[in-house]
Amino acid sequence: MRYLLLAVLTGTVFSVSSVHAANVDLESRIAAERIAVGTCAACHGWKGRSIAPKFPVLAGQRANYLLSQLRAFKAQTRGDPDALGYMWGMAAPLDASTMAALADYYSRQTALAGVREDPALLARGAQIYQQGDSAEGIPPCAACHGMGAAGTDMYPRLAGQHIEYLMKQLRSFQTNLRDVAIMHGVAQGLNEHDMRAVAAYLQGLGP
Amino acid sequence: MFKIQRSRIAAALATMLMFLLVPKAHAVPSFARQTGMACEACHTVFPELTHFGRMFKANGYTLDNLKQVRDITTERENMLVLATLAPLSVMIQVSQTWLDRPLPDGGGSTGHSQTSTTGFPQQLSLFYAGKVAPHLGAMIQASYDNASGSIGIDNTDLRFANLLLLPNDRGLIYGIDANNNPTVQDLWNSTPAWGFPYAASNAGVSPLAATQIDGTLAQDVAGLSFYAMWNESLYAEIGAYHSAKQGITNPITGAAGPLDGSVSNVISGAAPYARIAYEHQWRRHDVEIGAYGADFKLYPGGGSSSPVPLSGPVNQFRDVAEDLQYQFIGVQHLFSLQATHIHESAQLDASFDAGVSSNPNDTIDTTRITGSYYYRRKIGVTVSHFSTTGSADSGLYPSGPQPGVITSADSSPDTRGWIAEFNFLPWLNTKFSLQYSLYDRFNGGGTDYDGFGRKASSNDTTYLLVWLTF
Repeated sequence: MRYLLLAVLTGTVFSVSSVHAANVDLESRIAAERIAVGTCAACHGWKGRSIAPKFPVLAGQRANYLLSQLRAFKAQTRGDPDALGYMWGMAAPLDASTMAALADYYSRQTALAGVREDPALLARGAQIYQQGDSAEGIPPCAACHGMGAAGTDMYPRLAGQHIEYLMKQLRSFQTNLRDVAIMHGVAQGLNEHDMRAVAAYLQGLGP
Repeated sequence: MFKIQRSRIAAALATMLMFLLVPKAHAVPSFARQTGMACEACHTVFPELTHFGRMFKANGYTLDNLKQVRDITTERENMLVLATLAPLSVMIQVSQTWLDRPLPDGGGSTGHSQTSTTGFPQQLSLFYAGKVAPHLGAMIQASYDNASGSIGIDNTDLRFANLLLLPNDRGLIYGIDANNNPTVQDLWNSTPAWGFPYAASNAGVSPLAATQIDGTLAQDVAGLSFYAMWNESLYAEIGAYHSAKQGITNPITGAAGPLDGSVSNVISGAAPYARIAYEHQWRRHDVEIGAYGADFKLYPGGGSSSPVPLSGPVNQFRDVAEDLQYQFIGVQHLFSLQATHIHESAQLDASFDAGVSSNPNDTIDTTRITGSYYYRRKIGVTVSHFSTTGSADSGLYPSGPQPGVITSADSSPDTRGWIAEFNFLPWLNTKFSLQYSLYDRFNGGGTDYDGFGRKASSNDTTYLLVWLTF
């Protein structure tokens, strides 16, 4: 309950004006498709199905989350290393309607089937994700991200995401390089082993 | 007559060596300024490209996030989209070179040269590298180097590129490229222009032989090619090269041309160039396999002292090459492997008729294999093996009447050895390199390659380089 309250109180972190396909005009949709195929795909893969684990899978990601992150990149308020190195530059020329169209484009793509790695860690990962570990002060991730980790209008999809990317983000939350209060609190209790366990569990989850 | 031929070939060799000795470059911070992205987006460690860097190049260097000066028509058609900041960069290379054994005194005294050379700078370059207009980009390099003591045009690559959206969100990039060095337009670091060594001493001794596509014609030609890349994986290019000499004037008019028999190695007509490559990525891995080649028909010409008409028989150099690149880009560890093999078959009708080459047909085979490891893009080690073998030809690779250094007692072009390089990058645009080049064989010999007791290992070179780009 304590965690749920925390989630609600800090829910504004990712809350942004919603993106709906109907709101995206045709011109922006065409522009976004060109950018997605001609630029984003070089790292994030065809239709957002990233191959390299350094770059997050975008296919099936929640549009609101994508839009909030694009805005954070453009405003230079998201401060993890790859945000600075890659996305600050990438997002700078995007206007509001193109960002919304890009968020819409990727949210409409079919999410990837999960890839299971580190089977020995999956049980521990599932435990942390679904129930948390009160002894370690780790809340259940599912409280916000949903039992299937498909995300909500407020929180991002995590299912099928690369282990390496998830761990990089968790470390960035821990150190406040990526300054998100709720995730800073959550990630504090995670040691390297548990971090990998929950990331491996999430990568293994399908759509 | 024979003496004249000898002097002509010596001049041609000197010209060739001049090109071979000019070190390659370069990574360009103006791209980072234009895109707002750090070097690591496009480079593992400069100048080696990542997949994203290759796509940025294929797309014509046009991705940018700078504020633009604009003009449009009433139909909202763009008439001008110009960055408010010119994409300019400076590169400086300061170096110290130590030769294993000194050279004979070229001035004719009985002494010998110093063994070390300081290059301050070895090279200083100014780049325009970035977008020119929508779909149009350029990487133009002008360099001062200490060997010539002057400023000249260096690698230049102008390109138009566009993206075609195919069904199911596949992309086809297509473009037109104009450049002055075969393979400078290429996207992978396994081909000559952007291959290892990325920087080399210009105060060492270069071997006699190199294939035409392997830098021999750099900045001496103009090429126009058409390329297409499907789904960021299958790349095909076809084009042609024509002579575009620098620093040459027509002896009658004093103007920049047309070329005549007072110039050497002039391309007859247009030399076709072709390239095909396939790139595949999986997880942190990226592999490319490809082939490239060109067919150069060159009039040997003569030089101002002994002009030969630019007509009649030509020397035909047919270069066919294969290349391979593998990259592993991890968070902490980066590894890459580049390999190429170039086979050149030369039909030397013109040179053989004139008695300049001793064979009507020669071959050269060059192989290079390079492996690099970097830890967090800061500390790296590169080891490279190089080998050139070919037909013995007493005309092209002559022995000398006196200690020659760049001659061959066996009239053989065979040269092979190793390069080991240690790199330290305190920042991504600052590189300190210590490079050691070791020759097992040089111009055909190991222990006495020039017939006057010089060993291949006498040309071993230690090279310390400070390479700054900003």
